[in-house]
Amino acid sequence: MLHLLKIDLKKLTSYRTFWVVCSLYFITVGFSTASGMEFLKLLANTFDKFGSSLNIDRIPLYHFPDVWLNLVWWSGFFKVLLGIMVVISISNEYSYRTLRQNIIDGLSRWEFLLSKILTNLLLSIISVVLIFIIAAITGFIYTPEINWNYVFTDLEFYPAYLLEIFTFLSYALMLGIIIQRSGLTIILLLLSYMLESIIKANIDDVIPWIIPFFPMESISALVPIPFYRYAFQQIQDYVDPVSVAIAAGWMVLFNYFSYLKLTRSDL
Amino acid sequence: MTLETVLTTNNLTKVFGRLTAVNKLNLEVKRGQVFGMLGPNGSGKTTTLGMLMGVINPTGGEFSWFGEQPNHQIRKKIGAVLEHPIFYPYLSGQKNLELNAMIKECPPENIPGVLELVELTDRKDDKYKTYSLGMKQRLAIASALLNEPTVLILDEPTNGLDPMGIAEIRELIKKIAANGKTIILASHLLDEVQKVCTHFVVLKKGNLVHIGPVDDVGKGAETVEVNADVSNLDEILKSFPGTASITNENGFFLVTLQHEVRSRDLNAFLVGRGVVANHLVTKKKSLEKMFLEILSEAN
Repeated sequence: MLHLLKIDLKKLTSYRTFWVVCSLYFITVGFSTASGMEFLKLLANTFDKFGSSLNIDRIPLYHFPDVWLNLVWWSGFFKVLLGIMVVISISNEYSYRTLRQNIIDGLSRWEFLLSKILTNLLLSIISVVLIFIIAAITGFIYTPEINWNYVFTDLEFYPAYLLEIFTFLSYALMLGIIIQRSGLTIILLLLSYMLESIIKANIDDVIPWIIPFFPMESISALVPIPFYRYAFQQIQDYVDPVSVAIAAGWMVLFNYFSYLKLTRSDL
Repeated sequence: MTLETVLTTNNLTKVFGRLTAVNKLNLEVKRGQVFGMLGPNGSGKTTTLGMLMGVINPTGGEFSWFGEQPNHQIRKKIGAVLEHPIFYPYLSGQKNLELNAMIKECPPENIPGVLELVELTDRKDDKYKTYSLGMKQRLAIASALLNEPTVLILDEPTNGLDPMGIAEIRELIKKIAANGKTIILASHLLDEVQKVCTHFVVLKKGNLVHIGPVDDVGKGAETVEVNADVSNLDEILKSFPGTASITNENGFFLVTLQHEVRSRDLNAFLVGRGVVANHLVTKKKSLEKMFLEILSEAN
């Protein structure tokens, strides 16, 4: 397993685009999650009314335990950058025909796929760890009084976030293996949410019960929108096991489809 | 000495839609052979090699390497370059070989040796995309040799090379063959196959139309090119009982001899008639000629 991961990392670590896209991801995620309070302060200073109508210090964006869910939810938007990296990585293997050569050289098709899946898992884990560290640091900075009970509340959103990222990357990998061309795949990846929304809007009146089973919907449902709690005082502050089951199901299916496509086609 | 069988195929077939690319192919390659695969473009050479290397799923039939069912572990022991060289363009030659060593699970200590063999040591740290076509071909051969394979598969290894590059690759193949490695060489350069191969097959539209040793090519009727300073040379040549036919080509008489008659018999006959030839060359039948004969017969 580790051997296969090393093979894929060897391909990526000398590839400039990989470092560019990954830095872009980690910098945007890092800065945008860490600077929420600074952003609110900037808003308050720029627009006088904003500050007076709303006391920004009372918005508990970074207070334990809110900070866990807030940052995880916000970071979820940036996963598409990692998805693009996965698409570039797999479609390169097709356009350079190195997938074919890897098989000739003695990887089995399953091993090749596994090397890509393991990289997806590694990227997901790094993303989770990064956000956990940022949330912990900002939480300790901005929470007025540290209550250790609160610090350890809502941590189950991190495994859920890991599943969210990893399922999405599995989806990106599958699209790449089916379509094989990076441009088209990236466009489809970006449009996935929109296409799903169009379908959802059309069937909402007919068979609404099916909507939670949609792939993008199930991924999004893992980490609920946290900001309603500041308006309505109540939100779903737990991970819904049904969403986990649906998303995990899609994750398995995406990788299984990749496996089927890869083993059955001529390379 | 019994020769160990390296590869057998049994009714190996590949169908792409309506096209039968390879039709019930039966081959046997033994250890130490330099096995040439000939055929016009689109005759199924690359498809066959693709199936043998696990990148194309056969429609029917089976094959075995070293008497075993094909699997990816066996492929690690076979060095193969199919069609054109394939590497990661953004990696250096050295890094590409390091990656291939990881895939083949062989020690990276083998890399300097193969780089030296293909004379790429000086350029090993340059990116692959900066290499000339000849260098790319040589890197591909280096990669194929990385795991000290007992079998080497080369598909058009001199494609697109200049005459010097072709000569270099040919020397390399001879060097490798001299080490007792089995080589399967697909090519449509017949001269190349005749120069390096011990055995050859001819494919046409996916069908096997000929299989045999290359040495057999020269056998059969001999042709002799003759010239002498006598005016009635053609009559004298016609009167030789071993002559099958005579043509005049470029100022020389081209005498095709009857079966089992050799050129020295003709020479002795001429001397007996008091004619001394100032030009007498035995022409071996070329593989090219035979190949074209085989293909036209196959119709």
